Amino acid sequence: MKYFEDVRVGETATLGSHTITGEDIIAFAKKYDPQPFHTDPDAARATIFGGLIASGWHTCAIMMRLSAEAAQRTGAVTTGSPGVDSCRWLKPVRPGDTLTGRTEVLEAWPSRTKPIGFVRSRIEMRNQQGEMVVSLVGLTMFRRREGSA
Amino acid sequence: MSDRVYFEDVEVGQTHRFGRYEVTAQEIVEYARQFDPQPFHVDENAARQSLFGGLIASGWHTGAMLMRMICDHAIAGSATVGALGFDDLKWLTPVRPGDVLSVETRVKEKLDRPSRHGVGTVKIESWVFNQRAEAVMTLTSLVLYQRRPSP
Repeated sequence: MKYFEDVRVGETATLGSHTITGEDIIAFAKKYDPQPFHTDPDAARATIFGGLIASGWHTCAIMMRLSAEAAQRTGAVTTGSPGVDSCRWLKPVRPGDTLTGRTEVLEAWPSRTKPIGFVRSRIEMRNQQGEMVVSLVGLTMFRRREGSA
Repeated sequence: MSDRVYFEDVEVGQTHRFGRYEVTAQEIVEYARQFDPQPFHVDENAARQSLFGGLIASGWHTGAMLMRMICDHAIAGSATVGALGFDDLKWLTPVRPGDVLSVETRVKEKLDRPSRHGVGTVKIESWVFNQRAEAVMTLTSLVLYQRRPSP
């Protein structure tokens, strides 16, 4: 198990990969972000994006999925997140793109009132060309080891 | 086309209230199985044992629900072409099955820079409330607005 005390500032990890399809992009966008450049390939061609692109919220959802899987692999005892400092959608995500995540711990400090600690990380995802498509800095709460002050 | 809201039409301080999103347990679990399979998002029993005391929506799901309300009520009629991202996102209160969410937005700042695509950036603060008027989430989006085409 990986508790707050096991987190090291500066440590990096890869988050695995996910390939997104046009069907995935359209299904997500019809439910949560129904704008033409996310739901309609023909209409999307006429926009400044030149074709179908994924909702930024879909890209973040994929990042969450990769993060949750990585946490499971490493046995990280996390209890959610209070928020995200900043998130930038840097390049459009298109059908067939394979996104690979990477995370780096920037800062870690214990809660004064609860048996948890806060970890600030940068998470980035790149496409198969190595272009960064999303970069965010956010917080994760880790449980502290039983018996720790 | 002149009734569309372009970058030039946006004013700092403008507020807007809209939306009604009914949150169901089924949708919480469906989203979380696909994108955020932590026990307190996908498993009613495990969620009861967690520090949340019951099933809660993934924070990214709440963001997606906010986006849906923005699409349904705010984007129609606006000359927006997506967003660069957001800052200062806070998940303030858990979102639970049966919650009814709504939105309040406020224009914080216009970033008036020349741009290749004839767009300007507008910082818009959004607050998501539940049916008890508790804020459940807030963020500040960087929204791209087209500039009014020259006559």
